[in-house]
Amino acid sequence: MKATRDWFGDALVDVAADHENVLVVNCDLASATKTTRFKQTFPERFFEIGIAEANAIGVAAGLAQEGYRPFIASFGHFLTGKFLEIFQSVGLNNAGVVLVGTHAGLAIGKDGPTQMGLRDLALMRSLPNVEVLQPADGVETRAMLAYAVTHDRPIYLRLCRQPQREVHDQDYQFRPGHPDVVSHGTEVAVVTMGAMVPVVLDAVELLAPTGLRPTVVNASSLPLDVPATGDLLRQYRHVLVFEDHFIRGGLIDEIGRIVLGLDRHIRFHAWGVDDYGQAGSPEELYERYELDAPGVASRIRAVTGANTPEIGGSKQ
Amino acid sequence: MTASITYLDALPPDRHPNLVDDGFELPYRLSRIAQLSNDVRAHLLKMIHLAGSGHVGSSLSCVDLVSVLKFDQMDASGKDVFVLSKGHAAPTWYAALMVAGELDPAEIGTLRRIDSRLQGHPDRTRLDLVAVSTGALGQGLSVALGRAQARRLRGADSFVYCLVGDGELQEGQMWEALMYAGARGLANVVLIVDYNRSQNDGTLEEIMPLHPLPEKLRSFHWHVQEVNGHSHLAIRDAVANARENWMQPSVIIAHTRKGYLGPGQILLNGSHSGALTPEVYEDAISYLGQVSV
Repeated sequence: MKATRDWFGDALVDVAADHENVLVVNCDLASATKTTRFKQTFPERFFEIGIAEANAIGVAAGLAQEGYRPFIASFGHFLTGKFLEIFQSVGLNNAGVVLVGTHAGLAIGKDGPTQMGLRDLALMRSLPNVEVLQPADGVETRAMLAYAVTHDRPIYLRLCRQPQREVHDQDYQFRPGHPDVVSHGTEVAVVTMGAMVPVVLDAVELLAPTGLRPTVVNASSLPLDVPATGDLLRQYRHVLVFEDHFIRGGLIDEIGRIVLGLDRHIRFHAWGVDDYGQAGSPEELYERYELDAPGVASRIRAVTGANTPEIGGSKQ
Repeated sequence: MTASITYLDALPPDRHPNLVDDGFELPYRLSRIAQLSNDVRAHLLKMIHLAGSGHVGSSLSCVDLVSVLKFDQMDASGKDVFVLSKGHAAPTWYAALMVAGELDPAEIGTLRRIDSRLQGHPDRTRLDLVAVSTGALGQGLSVALGRAQARRLRGADSFVYCLVGDGELQEGQMWEALMYAGARGLANVVLIVDYNRSQNDGTLEEIMPLHPLPEKLRSFHWHVQEVNGHSHLAIRDAVANARENWMQPSVIIAHTRKGYLGPGQILLNGSHSGALTPEVYEDAISYLGQVSV
């Protein structure tokens, strides 16, 4: 059981050994974003900017313009909070920066909403040349890093804090924009990403006695391949999305647009966080916002059993 | 205004190894810069006149700074980088590129027009003769520092020049960048402040004074010079002097006038982005003399 930020820290050192252009730009969060090993291994390729994310984003953009592949790592909330800098210095420059936003979603726990990455996907999805990647486990984290160092376009890599089990086999192949079916079922497709993937798989296990067996789709990179995703989802009567993110602007919007564009009627249901978030232990928060396995299972059963469309938010 | 302008003692002709030594003596170089900067003014005025809008005052105030860099001090083979952080002066850079023969003057009427390469603020995704996309203020220096850091990492022998407005120094990110460059001793960076003391809503002093700017910059471990930003000789010497300092990043506070056309000639009373009427435009062009645009 390891968090994707831990897998990232290890995998980054591995890819950096083969790719000398990989650099790290840090904002006083090396221990939290797991770049300390990189710093120890490649000190001359590690740039400490301090608690100054705006400048760090600009410096990373400049390094990228010179042919380097800088990874700037910080809490996703702090990094994407400097949206104007990302928009202009990275986006409008088409600078090949990998923005690494850690501590996605509610899992920051007791530190509360000022540190919680609940709107980062909404911001990053709005930039037309930025690819968003969120791995579900260690295998996918390594695959995504191997992919990220092979080209020079801007990327937002969303990583999670909570340790989780592996969901992919070692031979898993990452295909950008491709919806990855991690569990096969019928009638119902559940789409999710990141640390929610094992949670949804657990929820499917909880549903086994009811006879309901949803397909689970890991939509780990955005924008999604629209035809491929549409072809997959059109086989189901219900499409559900669960995400550890604000209910607007993230994966829900991405999937909703694709489902809406299909030539057949599919019931669409979505669940995420609909307020600013709050402090609490991660377990309490996921239970409270119904984004833990029992919450997801009961949502799936409610919307598919009752056969009524529901676009909901968290309970208040 | 005049009393605050200081001019450092003349320095020896530059010894920058990157510069192509064309063998010309200083008086010839200065008269050449003067002619080219005049051409830049005429080009940018025509550009803004045809566009029907643009930041005339801010573009004119930095013409001499850009001209000295582009036509005399920056490496002629293209090794150096120029970042126009005060992106609203984009017409100055476009005009300098046209005068240098790098941008087709046929594009002069496309400024601020749809699908144009000459966006209202520099956009690298549309024109690769722009080093860095800028416009939202305060970001250019950070990107310049990244490029300087990369060049130092590679051991490349080149300089990164960054031009900012004085009002732009009110942005917090500027001070993050100033702190970083000073702390890391990024000596291959030359920052030029277009100190025209005027911003959108009024004077610098009215809106948010920077005084004492040289002391603030020195305390951030920058090598500080102040010059008359319309004296080609003074700018030239300061830039050459900045390159000689291998211990610190260098900043040149260039005292300029918004709307500066030439000695005693200030266009539109130095306004930030006033409209160029046909009369004002014709008068300015006639002042600048016969220029083949």
